[in-house]
Amino acid sequence: MKNKHSLLRPFCFTWLWLFFSIMAHGQSQQVSGIIKDETGAAVEGADIIVKGSTKGVQSGTTGKFIISIQGASATLIISHVGFTTQEVPASAGSTQEIFLKRNASALNDVVVIGYGTQRRREVTGAIAVADLAATKDVPVANPTRLLLGQAPGVTVKQATGRPGGEFEINVRGLGSLGAGSAPLYVVDGFPVGTGLGQNFNGSDIENITILKDAVSTAIYGARGSNGVVLITTKNGRPGAPVLNVSSSYGIQNIPSGRKVKMLDGQEFAQFKKDIFMDKIRYFENREPDITEVPLNYRYPEQVKTSTNWFDATLHDNAPFSNYYVSLSQGNNNVHSFLSAGYTRQEGILLNTKFDNFSVRGNIDGKVNDNISMGLRVNADLATNNLAQATEGRDNIVGASLIADPRDPIRNPDGSYFAYIGGHDGVFGFANPVMSLTDIQSRSNVGQMVANAFIEISFLKNFKFKSSLNGLLNYNSYKQFVPSYIPGENAPPPRDASEADQQINTRNYSADQLLTYNNTFGSHRINVLVGYTAQDEKTTTLNAGGTQYANDLTPFLSSAALKTNGSGEYGWSLDAFFGRVNYVFAEKYLFSGSFRREGSSRFGENVKYGNFPAVSAGWRISNENFMSGVSWLSDLKLRGSWGITGNNGIPNYGSLAFMSNNNYVLDNNLVRGQVVSNLPNPTLKWERSKQLDLGVDLAAFGDKLTFTAEYYDKITNDMLLSIPLPAISGFTSYLANIGKVQNKGFEFAARYKTKVQSVGLWVSGNVSINRNKVLAINGPSDQLLAGDFYGGYNISRPGSPIGAIFGFKMLGVFKNQADIDKSPFQDGAIPGVYKYYDADHNDTISYDTKDMVQIGNPWPKFTYGLSAGGDFKHFDFSILINGAQGYDIYRVIEASTMNMDGVFNVLEESKQRYRNEQNPGNGRLATTNTWKWERESNSRYIYSGSHMWIKNISIGYTFNPATPKLMFKSLRLYASGDNMFLFTKYPGSNPDVNNRGGINPGLDDEAYPLARTFTFGANFTF
Amino acid sequence: MRIIIIRLLAITFALSAVSCAKNYLNKTDPTKVSTDLFYKDPTQLEQAVNGVYGTLQGIANDQWITNELPSDNTTIDFNPGDRGQSDRIEAFEFYTVNANSTNLNSSYINYYNSIYNANNTLAKMQGATGLSDSVKAVNEGQLKFIRAYLYFELTQYYGDVILITQPLVQPSDAWTYQREKQENVYTQIESDLKDAVNDLPVKYEAGHIGRATKGAALSLLGKVYLTEKKYTDAVTTLNQVLPLGYDLNTDYADAFNPQKKNGIESIFEIQYDAAIDGEWSSFIYTFAPRLSAGAVTGWSQSNPGGWNIPTNDIINAYEAGDTRKDASVGLNFKSPVTGLTVPYIKKYAHTHAVYGRTDDNWPVLRYSDVLLMLAEAINEQGAPTTEAYTYLNKVRERAGLSDLSGLSQAVFRDTLAHERRVELAFENWRWFDLKRTMTPADLTTFINNYAAKEKANPTVTRQGVPYSNTDYVFSQYEALFPIPANEIIVNPKLTQTPGY
Repeated sequence: MKNKHSLLRPFCFTWLWLFFSIMAHGQSQQVSGIIKDETGAAVEGADIIVKGSTKGVQSGTTGKFIISIQGASATLIISHVGFTTQEVPASAGSTQEIFLKRNASALNDVVVIGYGTQRRREVTGAIAVADLAATKDVPVANPTRLLLGQAPGVTVKQATGRPGGEFEINVRGLGSLGAGSAPLYVVDGFPVGTGLGQNFNGSDIENITILKDAVSTAIYGARGSNGVVLITTKNGRPGAPVLNVSSSYGIQNIPSGRKVKMLDGQEFAQFKKDIFMDKIRYFENREPDITEVPLNYRYPEQVKTSTNWFDATLHDNAPFSNYYVSLSQGNNNVHSFLSAGYTRQEGILLNTKFDNFSVRGNIDGKVNDNISMGLRVNADLATNNLAQATEGRDNIVGASLIADPRDPIRNPDGSYFAYIGGHDGVFGFANPVMSLTDIQSRSNVGQMVANAFIEISFLKNFKFKSSLNGLLNYNSYKQFVPSYIPGENAPPPRDASEADQQINTRNYSADQLLTYNNTFGSHRINVLVGYTAQDEKTTTLNAGGTQYANDLTPFLSSAALKTNGSGEYGWSLDAFFGRVNYVFAEKYLFSGSFRREGSSRFGENVKYGNFPAVSAGWRISNENFMSGVSWLSDLKLRGSWGITGNNGIPNYGSLAFMSNNNYVLDNNLVRGQVVSNLPNPTLKWERSKQLDLGVDLAAFGDKLTFTAEYYDKITNDMLLSIPLPAISGFTSYLANIGKVQNKGFEFAARYKTKVQSVGLWVSGNVSINRNKVLAINGPSDQLLAGDFYGGYNISRPGSPIGAIFGFKMLGVFKNQADIDKSPFQDGAIPGVYKYYDADHNDTISYDTKDMVQIGNPWPKFTYGLSAGGDFKHFDFSILINGAQGYDIYRVIEASTMNMDGVFNVLEESKQRYRNEQNPGNGRLATTNTWKWERESNSRYIYSGSHMWIKNISIGYTFNPATPKLMFKSLRLYASGDNMFLFTKYPGSNPDVNNRGGINPGLDDEAYPLARTFTFGANFTF
Repeated sequence: MRIIIIRLLAITFALSAVSCAKNYLNKTDPTKVSTDLFYKDPTQLEQAVNGVYGTLQGIANDQWITNELPSDNTTIDFNPGDRGQSDRIEAFEFYTVNANSTNLNSSYINYYNSIYNANNTLAKMQGATGLSDSVKAVNEGQLKFIRAYLYFELTQYYGDVILITQPLVQPSDAWTYQREKQENVYTQIESDLKDAVNDLPVKYEAGHIGRATKGAALSLLGKVYLTEKKYTDAVTTLNQVLPLGYDLNTDYADAFNPQKKNGIESIFEIQYDAAIDGEWSSFIYTFAPRLSAGAVTGWSQSNPGGWNIPTNDIINAYEAGDTRKDASVGLNFKSPVTGLTVPYIKKYAHTHAVYGRTDDNWPVLRYSDVLLMLAEAINEQGAPTTEAYTYLNKVRERAGLSDLSGLSQAVFRDTLAHERRVELAFENWRWFDLKRTMTPADLTTFINNYAAKEKANPTVTRQGVPYSNTDYVFSQYEALFPIPANEIIVNPKLTQTPGY
């Protein structure tokens, strides 16, 4: 019965337009006309003012206008963003046809904002627009790549090189400890969630705008505080049909400089031999006999096989290809855009692959002067061949570093040598090459997104727009592990196993928007009121099987034992919102918005929250006293303040549930139930209060633009999973505690010039963000994440979120005397790490008491720089980005520099402590023990500062004069992506972030990043 | 005028939004029952009680780590290729346990989660309708028995422990609890068990066999009194078990035979069933030698843990002719790497139809334990009486051993300790028995003697890997475990066990 309600719900306001359409108004002494651009297409929304009066109107959807004048004739002033202002004489009763000339200045652009658009010169919030022209040659398997290095305050990290993988995006720092910190993505007005997923073709995108401050994002209420990414897809341009065909092909490789160097077979045997001998030397204080070393290590020089497992797992020259066709056209009434694309990226790891088919149809049409409609439909099918698991020591990438190098990839008969190591005191791993090729792990994700709207203009200044958005996502996953694949320390044969999963999601939303636009005299006002409702439901079905008759029939029907389950979850929200933008005399700008939103995720007692925001701007350059400063085309000061929310918590986090825990009585099943979590009926969204101050400047005929920004965002009611004493029955509990501040500066500048036939542009941005935990109002004032041997992150007042925490390593103990004169470390022997006694009690306790902050995972600043130019038919561009002044905890080295001798180790291990005479390089411990080596400590900290030359592209454009050729233009280009990395960081990817959230800055190895060289061609017909 | 229209519109919108929104934002997990709707009727309460029993399975699966491994009964099948365990399970064998031991942490969490569910069900039961007093009493009796059992284990591990007998009113109350003196913990345990003795039936009807009985409550209470050295109370309590109809099986091995679950000797077992999804046990997969593949489990794809391996010390402790040796210890497996015998616990090795799913129950209290406790309590009151010999010899006779007589109190004490060791071997009582029957100083000497022997001549060869200096060095404070580090991180006011 509840469902009926919710299904009808989004349509609650569609009746409203009827109410308005019956209202009418009269007019008298008039001039009428139509406004067109240079191509003859109608221009909507141009301002028409009678010179010398305050009377003004706007052109309608077909470019038509009617204005009343005093007397027989008058002069009309016609202005529109993006066009040069014109004055036109007109006489009463006449009909004018007026052609406006386009103005190239960026200042006159319209920018996309939440639920609407705004003239850039009137923007009072912090909004960044990605320069898609600069990234047109980049091989894009996921559209989040397009944001890289584009906007200050927007951190884009490629934490994994998985084909088709989404990039990690944060706007203005990590604003949350326990709820998500990814921005909200809104595609063509439809909030699709905090991820864009894989089902989206970057070539369909016309515009990406990032909303950063509160006045821009508060209109998205409880989902606004992590920033909002607005994506607008392409639509038909006025004019003749344009067919665009493009294709590109590339190859991917890992440059050898970015590979980690491990010991080879002989070196590893030597390492093992040394371990055995050093232990006897130390513990038994005698010189060992060679026969005490196990035979396999006794004569390292006789080791014949040496396999570089990491290299063996790589797919050299992995191809990347992209094909895209689009057709756009527009006449006066109907604009349409059709596209089809296919992207295929084979992974740099063997047998991994991503491909995506996409089709799109966007069509907008005007039914008459008052009614227009539009429809956008996009369908995608993404297919992935996944590696079973890549992140961390125990999975493919980590294991390929630490697996025994003395085993071969294949047996002499060509079959795989299945079980690597697993004898002579070395960990056993599955042959990673065999795991990659023989484990079947596939996912298919099909998605359809559709938006439809109808817009009705009435009473000259009013518009009512009703839109309905829907998303269907079908995700199926299947994995089959054959019986001959070993486990970790588990030689084959084992039970074959299969895991199948189907996840189906449907999400719909409906928006009802009423806008009022008017210009009268020096006043321009834009009012929006709206209502939105959104509902998402996901159903899951999963099944697993083991005990297969053979490995040839990887289907559940062949499994002797099966498990299965089904589930369902969802959320809903609804909100009422409004906004007023007001401009006075083109100088004083004001904006205010308000949203009241309710969410199913929040506690009974706190279902609704309010999100207000206000802002103001002053265009100093338009003041009379500035009229003499001709080089300055725009100077604007602006400020905003508002409240936004973050609802990224589990769907039912406020409620407590029973879960099954059955038992057996008298050999029969009896149903048992236990409590699965604690409830919190007061659970609500995080609230961020954000202040933003900015200055926008344009000079030298808009050749130079510059923006500087200061912001201060304080997030209250932070959602946190608070660790609970286990005596409560549970180990954590979700609550609103804690307060975090993110503040910083952002600078962006762009310079564009043309010297004779050479065009040049350069654009750069710098972001400086500082985050600080202000309070954790829980029973304990600090939050520790991670573990004793895997690296800790601590969040506590006064420190940044997730500061890296551990023992401060002072060096290695040189000898027993060194141990004796140092604070007591129970069980320490020469060669283990000497730690700092933080609590000055002369004992290093084997827990967190002597741990201190040992690293900061947040950069002091990040930057992006792009530059380009064109000369005759040639063009080139370069994109650089980087981060400076931060630390990474390289937790993988607890394995790749594990001194137990159970793993292969880094080449650097040769510098380890052997004895007092050979103390090594002072940061690598002895092989004689494990204690006081692998605990979270500063030995594993490295600076992550780096600079990427992310992309270099050159292109040649050919515009044939001869009409013999079928095409209008052809562009050929070559592009290199992930080109050069400059860093002292010893890992392969300083953007790695294996755990994320409040566990930032840990490197446990992930899917490696490839360098890609691409060649492409674009035809325009 | 237009402004007024807009205002009116805005108000209309707002009002409609509110009226439209009814129920729209109330969503609950459709796959689970909310706790608010549960604990309402007898069926739900029975399910809640069953749920608490269910949590015991998780506890029994890992209990050998804390109850058997530190003792002289078991050691490990040393894996030179996996040193990652050094600071985990191996620490319990080598006496290098520290507060960061993950096994200790998960054990602590499991115990208190189980206690929470018992407390919560006890509290919610008061508000349920349609529950007869007798049904309510039986439910309460079972929950209190389980709670007493859990606290008894906890206080053996940690000494002073946090005592919590109510569900928390609000989560932040969890920070107000401190470790309670052990004597107060015992007071609570005794009180729970006395209630359980009164509330619980001697037997259950079909379909309920396996629930805690009056006999179970009496036996556990006897064990508690014995541990507290309240010998008179122990004798009185344990004597009440005798007339309840228990007896020893003729064949010692029957007590562990899945075909003969909950037999005449059984007082309390944790129930498993190989045929029911999610309810199977898998002890032998943990206990079989590492490289034994299918030699012990019967399934060649097995990759057993090699944990809880019987020591040479206990293997040699069986008297000649003791039939329990063959029922308890397997000596027929030789490592394919070293060619040497790796012994294993045979009590839980039974054929099973499906790989990984065994049918073995975990024995908690057996009648022979009661007989031996009774003999011990009597002996500690002064001297071994005829009665005491009767109980001891009854257990010995069943094992094929001759009767004993004419021993001094001290010799009888040692004899009983030995008898308990072999009778109850690998049933998670040895470590507690050692701690109960010895002073801390004696225990330290005893363990270090055992440790020195095991270190010099390990049951399973270490294949050339030398010991660390700290291995097999037992200090007196290690008779109690440290409170898991996480708990002290979360609640810094919590005190650590002295010595750690």
